Amino acid sequence: METSKQTVSLTEIFLTFAKIGLTGFGGGMAIVALVERICVRQKGWITSEQFMHGLAFGQILGPFSLNVCTFTGHHLRGIRGGLVAAVGFITPSFLLVSLLSWIYFSYNQLPQLQAALKGTNPVIIGLIVVVAIDMGRTQIKGANSALLALAAFGATVFLKLNAAWVLLAAALWSLAASIWRRRCS
Amino acid sequence: MVSLLILAWIYFRIGLIFVGGGYVLIPLLNHIMVQQYGWLTLREFLDGLALSQLTPGPLAMLATFTGFRAGGFPGGLVATVFIFLPCVTLMLIVGRNYERLKKIDLISSTLDGVLPAIVGLVAAAAWNLGASSLSGAREFIILLIGFGLFKWTRVSPMIVIIGAGLVGLLLN
Repeated sequence: METSKQTVSLTEIFLTFAKIGLTGFGGGMAIVALVERICVRQKGWITSEQFMHGLAFGQILGPFSLNVCTFTGHHLRGIRGGLVAAVGFITPSFLLVSLLSWIYFSYNQLPQLQAALKGTNPVIIGLIVVVAIDMGRTQIKGANSALLALAAFGATVFLKLNAAWVLLAAALWSLAASIWRRRCS
Repeated sequence: MVSLLILAWIYFRIGLIFVGGGYVLIPLLNHIMVQQYGWLTLREFLDGLALSQLTPGPLAMLATFTGFRAGGFPGGLVATVFIFLPCVTLMLIVGRNYERLKKIDLISSTLDGVLPAIVGLVAAAAWNLGASSLSGAREFIILLIGFGLFKWTRVSPMIVIIGAGLVGLLLN
């Protein structure tokens, strides 16, 4: 997968991430799945591997939906690209929350957005599943990596562990394995 | 009206702690906004929490809501900018050094080793979201249609999501 790096304008970065920030209902992984679809598959802005590295950093450093946007933007156009992507992504949510807060504090009512979310939620799950399958197809090779993927899945779903901790544990495990391999060779 | 400078400082500090992980934010904001400063009642805080989760942004959009309460639209803006400042800065630093870090063998092989775990985490997110929001046959049918569209067609994801939102509005 070739990435076409220098040609992307800041305006295009802003508009792309604003669109993601406008439609990515579900937050968190929904955003990650959308960025993967659009920036990795459709536009070829960043390779799947680089994107997942960014996600690994982003998981550990707080709000990963925002972090993958910053990382991808930075990959395209440096610091300015990262800032533009982050601002573009947050702006729609910011305007939406401001509007909803205004309605809430003026009329003391929560707007009925839940109905629409009942439709988007299942579709978002579908998108995340597709992204997991596509990522798995390129990244899971052999029994070891399949086991690690299953362990991360199980730790999150059944043990209810925080994703950032799961990832840190995986990183330590992988670091130990790398050192071990180096010693043997 | 609370001074915007004070707001900026408060949310910047929260942003620094927020780097540790998302859900830390809820007890922290609750403590500062409700108990310490009394800008919101607990009821308002919980409604704000629900409201922030309606949007695509991270949970930290709660900062916009609480900032709005404390200082109107400028308050919301200042709160949002400053709560995200630390993590965006950190992520830019990571991005800047990414190519250099990747050249170090040990770091690069560790990073590659983590990738299968990410696949597991993504799958787990789908599972958890499904467990909390799929309640009937109708939702499963929407899920399958969405899956098929994303997997085998090149329709833009935005259009599928907006379409699904409209379907949700009509059905409910």
